[in-house]
Amino acid sequence: MAAATLLDESALSVYVLLALTASVTVGVTLLMGHAGQVSLGHGAFYAAGAYAAGLLAKHGFPSWIALLVAPVAAAGIAAVVGIPLLVLRGHHLAFATLAMHLIFLSLISELSITGGDVGLQAIPPLGFAGVTLSSVRSYAFLSAGALVLVVALARNLLVSRPGRALRALSSSEVAAASSGVAVGHYKLAVFALSAGFAGLAGGIYAFYMGYLSPGSFPVMLSIEYIVMAAVGGLGKVSGAVAGSALVFLLVHGLSRISTLSGMPGTAPIILSYAVYAVLLVSAVLFLPGGLVAFVLARWERPGARSERAAPVSEAKPGDPANEGVTSKHGSFS
Amino acid sequence: MIDVESLSVLYGAATALDGVSLSVRAGEKVALIGANGAGKSTLLNALSGIVEKKAGTIRIDGRFAHVPEGRQLFPELSVDDNLRLGAYRASDRDPAWIYEILPELARLRRQRAGSLSGGQQQMVAIGRGLMARPDVLAIDEMSLGLAPIIVQQLAAQLMRLNAERGLALLLVEQSARLALSLCDRAYVLETGRVVAQGAAAELLDSPFVERAYLGGPIEDAP
Amino acid sequence: MNAFFSYLVHGISVGCGFALVASGIIIVYRVTRVVNLAQGMFSVVAGFAAATLLGVGLPHGFAELAAIATAALVGFLTGVVAIAKPGTNPQASLIATLGVGVFAYAIEVLTWGDQPRSFSGLTGAYDLWGIDVPKQYLLITLVTLVVFGALEAFFERTYAGKALSACASNPYAARLQGIGVVRMGLYGFALGGALGGVAGVLLTPVQPISYDSDVSLFVNGFASAILAGLKRPVLGLLGGLVLGIAESMVAGYAKASYQSSLALLLTLAILIAQAARREALHAVEE
Repeated sequence: MAAATLLDESALSVYVLLALTASVTVGVTLLMGHAGQVSLGHGAFYAAGAYAAGLLAKHGFPSWIALLVAPVAAAGIAAVVGIPLLVLRGHHLAFATLAMHLIFLSLISELSITGGDVGLQAIPPLGFAGVTLSSVRSYAFLSAGALVLVVALARNLLVSRPGRALRALSSSEVAAASSGVAVGHYKLAVFALSAGFAGLAGGIYAFYMGYLSPGSFPVMLSIEYIVMAAVGGLGKVSGAVAGSALVFLLVHGLSRISTLSGMPGTAPIILSYAVYAVLLVSAVLFLPGGLVAFVLARWERPGARSERAAPVSEAKPGDPANEGVTSKHGSFS
Repeated sequence: MIDVESLSVLYGAATALDGVSLSVRAGEKVALIGANGAGKSTLLNALSGIVEKKAGTIRIDGRFAHVPEGRQLFPELSVDDNLRLGAYRASDRDPAWIYEILPELARLRRQRAGSLSGGQQQMVAIGRGLMARPDVLAIDEMSLGLAPIIVQQLAAQLMRLNAERGLALLLVEQSARLALSLCDRAYVLETGRVVAQGAAAELLDSPFVERAYLGGPIEDAP
Repeated sequence: MNAFFSYLVHGISVGCGFALVASGIIIVYRVTRVVNLAQGMFSVVAGFAAATLLGVGLPHGFAELAAIATAALVGFLTGVVAIAKPGTNPQASLIATLGVGVFAYAIEVLTWGDQPRSFSGLTGAYDLWGIDVPKQYLLITLVTLVVFGALEAFFERTYAGKALSACASNPYAARLQGIGVVRMGLYGFALGGALGGVAGVLLTPVQPISYDSDVSLFVNGFASAILAGLKRPVLGLLGGLVLGIAESMVAGYAKASYQSSLALLLTLAILIAQAARREALHAVEE
């Protein structure tokens, strides 16, 4: 996949954002698919990483250090916030993550250190040992590299012992707990790790854009990640990448069409919202395995990208989270 | 009134019921015994239309009410409300006649159903089932978790209802002794199949049933 | 002192709005076990619809009622997406309502554009004991009290209300009695839509709405519902009032921009405390 960085200039800017978004989505899909937590606030971790990197760079730290701090900062915040937050389950947790995102936005809009509503301007470019990254192509390589790293970490997590514990978690939290798995620890670890992924992407974003403002990180951003994760199939790492690509390119393409002359100014918003909504609802209601898996199966392409689903359990959106939604007496079917 | 033929029901990928045939005639008392997981509750759920059948036929002539395992009341609602909701399908929603049959409930009518004792809850559950004015009343594991004396009282009520009003009964029990002593006929269900059936008295004497089911949890009354 | 009372008055009417949204959330949750993330959207749709209808000349009263009916219909449709498909678990339903809300954004922007809208309600104010009480605020409070009285009566005294409660209390047992749990769920959603609609038509004259106003409405409504324990709708009124007054005070005496964070933190604190207590009880039971 990293080989796909040999693209022309105009496509590269899309590529950068796509790769960054995909990195965040990998974390979200791990969280939703294997730890059963709906996160309506991952955009906040993306923002946290971005602001952390931007702030450090502006205050004189070497930019590459700032970049490395970004995921650590995001993961750190997640670990701290996660301790009280992860006591919650199901819809309470979903609400809490949304609240977290909103509170974070409120904070960065108020504090003068983060530049308030205006944000951070003129972030120094990313540089390392005398080499400065200034071309889009260089960021394309960087963000692709980050994505590869994130994917590798995620895959590694899933096949490791903690990872298998995680998959036990996704099929039944109660069963996992009674067989000795430290449920709380794993949930927190995945939460922090996924935040770290988002933070890394955010850090790169800060340098790529050169400026940040609260407006770059609306709640809608968090929802986009969920859509992409759902489309790719919750819990499937490659699905996260494929889902991100699909949704991102689709929306981007529609934006291009809708900004053609003759279309109303609000057309891009309308189309993108409609696409997100339809994809999300279809994925969650009809194709919990992911649209991508569904399409692939249909067309029976002999897999160059033959991704096997995690063998233990096909991540079903939400069984573990049901522990919190006390359906003691049966389901709706 | 109830005629089940070759019923098969799936539970996920597993077979919960495999070619089960069973009948309950008007005014009869039929016992369905078997171990945990044998498929008894599934059969009742199938009769209630809650689970879909994979194969076979179910024919019910008349009204059928199902008192589920574990009482399954509406805990935040009052006893009175629980009873009234039992008549959702029926036309008469007045529970006065239930209070006559089960006078202890009259005393509890305004109480939250969740705050009652096990025996009282079972009474409410049976009352709720009766509110539907059924011709056949199926009760799943009535004796579970209840003191023997309470079970005897409930059983006596049911026998009266059967004798005086012709209410057919389908008693599902792990405790074979109780069910067999109350009923005329019985079926034995094992992992989804009927492995024995016949007159209750005969099954009580059968060594097979005795070995597998009569060493069961209910102790002989002193 | 005057400032205090004017904050109080403002807080009460804002709180009533929250309470109405909260009641929608509570009812849908009670009947279906689903948290409806699109609840705020019902208010936005109603507000927009009322603005349009008033704009084309429909008289006050009719326009609002039509708008509320529209919101009820939208609620019903949301319910269809969220629960009509058999086998949808509550988490999937939650995400489905999220999707509906986003889709509504598209429709709203398409129909009404992306700018805030408002319409005039009752203008002028009464002078009550030296305090200026805008007439619209009084209307909001009055209507809210009436609505909550009706809700309480419905759930506590009518058979249909009990049947709806039964679905939430024990869906399996409800089905055994012949109660169509999905159908009841849809009614619950429709009712939630109507309640959101009432909130929308009452609040829009006071605060212009735009397509993304649903987030803050939902957040505040859910916070009020949490304060009420997500149980009886009438408690949502108390929760809403507490929250509304608290926010108004914060906005008046401290900084306005902190008021939503206050709501959020308060809600989170309560949620976490409740959950932690439950965990502790479980641990004791083991």
